[in-house]
Amino acid sequence: MNAAIVGLTVRQLLGAKRTMLLVLVALIPVVIAAIRRFSGNDVDTDHWTATTLLGQLVVGTLLPLGALIFGTATLGSEFEDGTAVYLLSKPIARWRIVASKLVVAWGATSLLVLVSTVASAAVSLESVGEGAILAGFVIAVVLGALVYCSFFVLLSILTSRALIVGLLYVFIWEGVLTRLFGGLRILSVRKYALGVADQIITAPSTVFEADLGGGRAMFLIVAVTALTFVYAARRLRSWEIGEST
Amino acid sequence: MSAAQAATGDSAPEAPAAAIEVVNVSRWYGNIVAVNDISFSLGPGITGLLGPNGAGKSTLLHMLSGFLAPSAGSVRVLGEPAWQNEALYARVGLVPERESVYPFLSGHDFVLLSARLHKLPDPRAAAAKAIKEVDLEPAQHRAAGGYSKGMKQRLKVAAAIVHEPPVLLLDEPFNGADPRQRLHMMDMLRRMAAEGTTIVFSSHILEEVERLAENVLVVVSGRLAAAGDFRHIRRLMTDRPHTFTLRTSDNRRLAAALVGDPAVFGVELQDGALSVRTSDFAAFTLAVAKVAKDADVSLLELRPTDESLESVFSYLVNR
Amino acid sequence: MQPQSDATGSIYDLGYRRYDGVRLGRQHAVIALYLYTLRGAFGLGRRTSSKIIPVIITVIAFIPALVQLGIAAVASGVVEIFAPENYFGYVQVTVALFCAAVAPEIVGRDQRARTLSLYFSRALRRSDYAFAKLTAFTTALLLLTLAPQAVLFVGNTLATKDTGAFLRDNWSEVPRIVSSGLLIAALMASVSLAIACQTPRRSYATVAVIALFLVTTPLAAIFVRETGSWGHYAILLSPFDLLNGTTLAVFDIVPDPDTSLEIADLPAWLYPVVTAGYTIVGAGLVLRRYARIAA
Repeated sequence: MNAAIVGLTVRQLLGAKRTMLLVLVALIPVVIAAIRRFSGNDVDTDHWTATTLLGQLVVGTLLPLGALIFGTATLGSEFEDGTAVYLLSKPIARWRIVASKLVVAWGATSLLVLVSTVASAAVSLESVGEGAILAGFVIAVVLGALVYCSFFVLLSILTSRALIVGLLYVFIWEGVLTRLFGGLRILSVRKYALGVADQIITAPSTVFEADLGGGRAMFLIVAVTALTFVYAARRLRSWEIGEST
Repeated sequence: MSAAQAATGDSAPEAPAAAIEVVNVSRWYGNIVAVNDISFSLGPGITGLLGPNGAGKSTLLHMLSGFLAPSAGSVRVLGEPAWQNEALYARVGLVPERESVYPFLSGHDFVLLSARLHKLPDPRAAAAKAIKEVDLEPAQHRAAGGYSKGMKQRLKVAAAIVHEPPVLLLDEPFNGADPRQRLHMMDMLRRMAAEGTTIVFSSHILEEVERLAENVLVVVSGRLAAAGDFRHIRRLMTDRPHTFTLRTSDNRRLAAALVGDPAVFGVELQDGALSVRTSDFAAFTLAVAKVAKDADVSLLELRPTDESLESVFSYLVNR
Repeated sequence: MQPQSDATGSIYDLGYRRYDGVRLGRQHAVIALYLYTLRGAFGLGRRTSSKIIPVIITVIAFIPALVQLGIAAVASGVVEIFAPENYFGYVQVTVALFCAAVAPEIVGRDQRARTLSLYFSRALRRSDYAFAKLTAFTTALLLLTLAPQAVLFVGNTLATKDTGAFLRDNWSEVPRIVSSGLLIAALMASVSLAIACQTPRRSYATVAVIALFLVTTPLAAIFVRETGSWGHYAILLSPFDLLNGTTLAVFDIVPDPDTSLEIADLPAWLYPVVTAGYTIVGAGLVLRRYARIAA
């Protein structure tokens, strides 16, 4: 970690148009919850909130999208703009640079998605404490954001097309293939996050159920984060300057 | 005195004092060879890295700065390998070619960031000093996104010298600078060189290299075509005639007299000047005065026509 | 001794020649740009790394057709999961990803590299440039919306025992397949180019294009389900629903129960009309951008 890099990266993210766009996207679950609430629909609200609103919309879409944009922006945009060389030509261990970038991406993603989670759950649920649904998703979002960001920071070091590769991962791999082939769930960050949520949520399985156990999910979160981080640091050490495209 | 010398292919590094040591370095991309078996060593002073576009200058400079791994051979800076050696950057300053800077940072904050990343004891003082050095004080509190090309170049130099590195590498540093800024930066680099800094800069503009560099490394098609003092190199090329331009009281008479001299093999009259081609630089300079005196012609001006780096360079490129 | 070279100067004949041949003019310039853009959409003529992503996404769009043919080979005519009228529903995200990946390349590269002025100083007009880009990207998208359908149709034809009978029964589908594929490709191309051409930055364009397609669908769904009849028109804001509605209208089929389309219950003719409207608006935005852009 390096305070100067963290400070720089925060300023980078705050100034980016993409961040503004994401804030708008983060409002969508809240809007959806509000529409449902004020149209007077209260059939199976707990199940709808946990499975559809928080499970599919927030953890399934907003979280990976936010992590993808912040994760690829923190380091990837520096490669794109040609400014990365100012960080890399300093006597700072490369893993510290990766760590600083990751921390900012993680913090930004968590903040964005947590605000959306808490606000939409507050609008949707009768009582926020209901079955520890909110608590489960708060933890799930924070841990899921860490794994996603670590993976996307790695992608941004590996390829200049990290954004589109990440979109393919989120929407094709996690969105389609993991649904068709259950065995792939151990390679789906979304499933880890939902597994963690399920572990904490006390409500019955008719309200919310994940297909990955909480213990395995925790183990995979730690393992995948560690592996992607170490590999990212290694790849940044052997990063070579290329022709700008 | 020449601080650059082309080491022969397999000679062992002799002087440990060399700030930059490149031994049998090659770099290839797939089956394209960008740098082909280059060896040289450099000490303090200014060295110009010269070559046409695509010659491998940037590749070489990137290897010196640790941003490219040599495919073969070794690149050592201050006695340490340049590749995968982050600690070395504490003693190396790098001015990259791309003019990108963080557009949202002011010039001052950009240099301060560099000082902080170097973990200098007093980053503010160091930043202020570097900004003063490049003459960027009036604009330092404006966002760098609005800087002109020349200002961005100076800003990058300020960020690169903020930790007063003993080795400074600059990739095309004069791009976009106006003549006054160019002179200012040249003065600054000369001053740093006089204080013992090893400076390497790349350029495809001969006039810059000629005016600034004591030594040149000429890279052509990925190979080191020449290294050392360029006037000296020129003299080594004896298989090419030297040309002198003379202005005299009577060009025609002197021309007739010179044709008889064995060192001369071509004389030409043009626009009130006399152009003489000779195969022997030293012999001609000695002989010309005597021939002129015997012919009773006064010499008004005598100068080598093609001593400029341009002609040396085009000779090497076309050889 | 001050070296100078001002006393010498020569002009060498480097063999440059003027072009004296026939100039083919504006029409050929448009065709050339169209073909170049079309090739570029799949990274042809560029380095390998530019080919990987468009080619992978295109292959993904063919997978349902290949799966269906696999099923047909085992149990012909028994199980039909992927059919012409629902095919787009299965590949809509894939097609949107293709737009997000490729549209910024098609209109962003020339803005990044500042090469627009080179185009506009030729016989090509600004509107020609926009037209060539729009038509080329629409054509590229046909490879994702129409080509898999063609594979499916030909495959199904060959898989039946009585080919003649199959063709007699199904030939009427061909114009429906072609027109729905064209409408889908035209809308996706014009809307995503309208967004992507606003910025030279690839990442902004990618995010904006994908966000438009993916964000509008759940929003439309919630409006349609939870609000009164006026909210049903919100479905027209979601390109995916709009295009699925258009396809059903073209095939003259009613939507499946409990889908947004079924609940919205709008007249079927509205979908193709709005699709055409969006396509025209998107194309207009592209033309407007290129009429004003500084080059």
